[in-house]
Amino acid sequence: MKVDLNWLQDYVDIDRPLEEICNLLTEAGLECRIVESGPRVPEGVIVGEVISVENHPNADKLSVCFVNTGEKEPAQIVCGAPNVAAGQKVPVAMVGTSLTPDFTLKKAKIRGVTSNGMICAEDELGLSEDHSGIMVLDESCEIGKPLNNYLPKTVILDIDLTANRPDCMSHIGVAREVAALTGKSLKIPDITHQETGPDIHSLAQVVVLASDGCPRYTARVIRNVNIGPSPDWLKKRIEAIGLRPVNNVVDASNYVLHETGHPLHTFDYDKLAEHRIIVRYAEEGETFETLDHKERTLSRNVLLICDGKKPVAMAGVMGGLDSEISDNTVNVLIESAYFDPPTIRKGSKQQLLSTDSSKRFERGTDPNANCVYAQDRLASLILELAGGNCAKGMIDVYPKKIEPLPITMRFDRLKKITSLDISPETCRTIFESLDISVQSMDDQTINVLAPTFRPDLEREIDLIEEIVRIYGLNKIQANSRLQFSMSETVDPLNPFLNRIREIFVGFGFHEAISNSLVSQDMANAGIWGYAPVPLMNPLSIDMNYLRTDLIQPLLHNLKLNAARKRQHVRLFEIGRVMEKDPLSETTVREHQNLGVIMCSDMWDLHWLRSPAPADFFFGKGMLMRFLDNMGITDISLNNTDFHPDPYRIFMDITSGKIQIGKIGEYQPEFLNKYQLEYPVVILELKLDVIFELRKEVFKYKPVSPFPSMTRDISIVVDKNMESETLMKEIHQKGSKFLKDVVVYDQFMDDRKLTPGKKALSYRLWFQSDERTLEDQDVDRIMEKIFNILIRKYGAQLR
Amino acid sequence: MTLLEKINHVRDQFNTDLERISDLKSWEELKNTYLGRKGLVSKLFSRIGDVPPQDRKTIGQALNSLKNEIQNQVDSLHQTLQEKVDESHDVDYTLPGFPIFKGSRHPLTQAIDEMLSIFARLGFDIAYGPEVETDWYNFSSLNLPLNHPARDMQDTFYVDEGIMLRTHTSPVQTRYMTQHKPPVRIVAPGRVYRNEAISTRSYCMFHQIEGLYVDKNVTFADLRGTLELFCKMYFGPDARIKFRTSYFPFTEPSAEVDVSCFLCKGKGCRVCKNTGWLEILGCGMVDPNVFKAVGYDPEEVSGYAFGLGVDRSVMQKLDIPDIRMLFDNDVEFLKQF
Repeated sequence: MKVDLNWLQDYVDIDRPLEEICNLLTEAGLECRIVESGPRVPEGVIVGEVISVENHPNADKLSVCFVNTGEKEPAQIVCGAPNVAAGQKVPVAMVGTSLTPDFTLKKAKIRGVTSNGMICAEDELGLSEDHSGIMVLDESCEIGKPLNNYLPKTVILDIDLTANRPDCMSHIGVAREVAALTGKSLKIPDITHQETGPDIHSLAQVVVLASDGCPRYTARVIRNVNIGPSPDWLKKRIEAIGLRPVNNVVDASNYVLHETGHPLHTFDYDKLAEHRIIVRYAEEGETFETLDHKERTLSRNVLLICDGKKPVAMAGVMGGLDSEISDNTVNVLIESAYFDPPTIRKGSKQQLLSTDSSKRFERGTDPNANCVYAQDRLASLILELAGGNCAKGMIDVYPKKIEPLPITMRFDRLKKITSLDISPETCRTIFESLDISVQSMDDQTINVLAPTFRPDLEREIDLIEEIVRIYGLNKIQANSRLQFSMSETVDPLNPFLNRIREIFVGFGFHEAISNSLVSQDMANAGIWGYAPVPLMNPLSIDMNYLRTDLIQPLLHNLKLNAARKRQHVRLFEIGRVMEKDPLSETTVREHQNLGVIMCSDMWDLHWLRSPAPADFFFGKGMLMRFLDNMGITDISLNNTDFHPDPYRIFMDITSGKIQIGKIGEYQPEFLNKYQLEYPVVILELKLDVIFELRKEVFKYKPVSPFPSMTRDISIVVDKNMESETLMKEIHQKGSKFLKDVVVYDQFMDDRKLTPGKKALSYRLWFQSDERTLEDQDVDRIMEKIFNILIRKYGAQLR
Repeated sequence: MTLLEKINHVRDQFNTDLERISDLKSWEELKNTYLGRKGLVSKLFSRIGDVPPQDRKTIGQALNSLKNEIQNQVDSLHQTLQEKVDESHDVDYTLPGFPIFKGSRHPLTQAIDEMLSIFARLGFDIAYGPEVETDWYNFSSLNLPLNHPARDMQDTFYVDEGIMLRTHTSPVQTRYMTQHKPPVRIVAPGRVYRNEAISTRSYCMFHQIEGLYVDKNVTFADLRGTLELFCKMYFGPDARIKFRTSYFPFTEPSAEVDVSCFLCKGKGCRVCKNTGWLEILGCGMVDPNVFKAVGYDPEEVSGYAFGLGVDRSVMQKLDIPDIRMLFDNDVEFLKQF
């Protein structure tokens, strides 16, 4: 909302620095910024002084001037203006100035005489239409300075209004706030219009068929107006707030809108069939062409202003082309109405059409005083600016008066909410300064009538806010000692997530946060196979779904990193993935997951060790270490049915029978496509499940003080024998003394082994809690292990 | 096995064992095993008496040559190992150490965590809500009925009729209150979504922390006290705050809170655009209609709520010029934090 400071001062005296006013308004809820605006001319137009004027040797109407432009030598400039004279201060466009985007001034010869620049008329500078002669500047302008320094400036308060304050969408509204905040009184212009025409009721008729959408409709008629340009003062004000002047009647209407905040409409009276106004809802599919030359197809909830035959305006939103004020208009009908806010909002939303008018009506205008004041104010302005005579009286269809709302505020409630001790008298003063009329008051309560121009005031709490924002929100000081009820519960989830973050940071991973909005392809590629959730109104086609896994967004991140040639990409993300679920309250089921992606060596390039790419087994090792940290046991990895082709390895991770995640590695072809140097290892875990399964407390188990013994065995088995099966068997036969088993070598070479065989080497640790083990103890166990491996799995010792 | 065969066996065994020796300690063991007083070679010599006399010469020669062989090999290995030890004193210790990978937490979760732990000190528990919300929780329960102009303040992504991506963390307020009796003291972190054009300053997704305290006799002064404490703990002990009246349908009175710029301490600089202040959060006293929606009696209890935008404040604090950098996940960016 733009407020012209000059204009504002018509309604309130301002005797404090503007900065202070701005801060006061901002603290009171009208966030305010000072902006200076006004006409600007191109850079390079400066102030010059005409030293001499001589006739042009070859042209009667031209003269040759010498102009002091602040340079050492005066400039010789050929000028065609009749009014140029020595001693004048004038605007000079120097050579090189771009007067319009496609005209840059050059040194030129005009009828044989060199001209180094141009002395400008107002129209040439875009300041007005005036081309009668060059612009003569005030004596005080300094030679050589940019002309812009001397052009009039308009000070604008740019106010960021909140949605609850339609009353401040006007100069008077803002002035009322300034008055209340600075202890001044509000000055509303008097209206003095003469009604010299016939009775309005003999000229026009208004029928409201939709009084729920249009509770009040008033009309006046002014006949015999002279449509023409507005006077300068009006043009300037209209321009100051960013509007374009049209003609005196339209400008007056806009002026009153921005003065009072009440939108008005002016019709060409003679274009209204039967001189009737009918307010009704549109028929389904009815069409209507609005002022912006758009043919609109309406639905039943759009409120229309019609004449005897056809629609002439979308009520409260925009007028129609046919009945608009034109240069030929002679008679004018002024509409000032009150429309139901939701009705206007629905219409404006449905037509995607938001105007100065609809913005005010949908937030709530005043059905009472201001509605009529705006009507009368516009009538008197039109009479003043365009002449004509005003019909007697006003048509006023207002079947059910909207009464101001009585509200009671309790002083103890005020204190309970704000902690402030504000005296009843102060409250009364504040209310009255805001035109909230105080009906009665005692030491407990104050009863007021909320004015109908303040639709935001409905309840006691609304009045409390009024008091505190005018009194000063920052007068509320913090209690020196806070007292409050502490929460008795401690959330376990955030510490759990932080534990996971710390583990992966320790593994050398960077935490990522990816967009939850993904393309349809990404949503469909999700590794869980969840039904994806589309957005009804996406920002763009590559963000029209919610992610169904974390791997796709992480792959997306990997591509970005690959494109930027980043080495070693190791990322993890904790976040939600979404699954369509018609049974859920929100139609969506949200899963909290951990996603991990790795495309990296196992360590950075270094002199001590040669590089080794991190592959599936690195991922698996990390997974096992992580699950061990979480105290999750009985883990197995199984190939999954869901096997989208880019994966080389893709496995389900389960703990017992419960699925907790998936792990995989991408096919090498995938690497070629993105020019990656390492395999891509992926891992996604269901944190909701892991949260339930996790162990937080690790109880003490006795630690044996006796030394352990190790034994190595190497066996040869069939290639397809799973080492995990053998490992389980070893554990089973290993007795209580077997503490740990590790596979430390795998060997496959058909030249050295029987073809189809492989060699596996295990190291076993034995230890007793009660004594130092003897060789014989361990030998006996080892024998059992050998036997079972040989008998059951056909193993040979190596 | 004849003694001759045994000699050859010991030689083979020695040659195998020799391969494994890599330091002086194991060399010592090797030497003792073979050449010690009770070593393998001595054992062989002690059995020369069992050999028939006519073979003793040959066997004796074989034994001597084994002993010499082993002796020579052991000596030469000792020399090699000793040289290696000497060399190790010449290692260049300015060579870089083993490159342990760097990992890092995202600056946003770092900030969220820091804020949450401050609120934990101030007695708040953490609560959560879904990112896909119903109209009732996201809007209606928060005093934003259908066709309310204030709904325009938040451009909304819809998933279905009446189902949307939450536009703020405020629905966690009403979700929590419908399930808990007062007093309530929670903070709720999370992702929120707005259907706004993406630029350096705005993204379709960002992070908020919601705060809510409901109890008997909660006043605006309590709100101010809590926020002052929070700001001092988060921005530093000289942080000051000021309020500006604002409008949120779910609080009244409502306010925006500015904190004195952490960089220039309020003098005015690039970060605060020369105002000396940074906008950090919106807050207010819980609107009675919100209490009614969740079945609390506004005459019995009062409360305050606040909503803090994390992303902007992280950008200011870490001097990040473009919000999109937070979500690109470029490792060169992430590893800085």
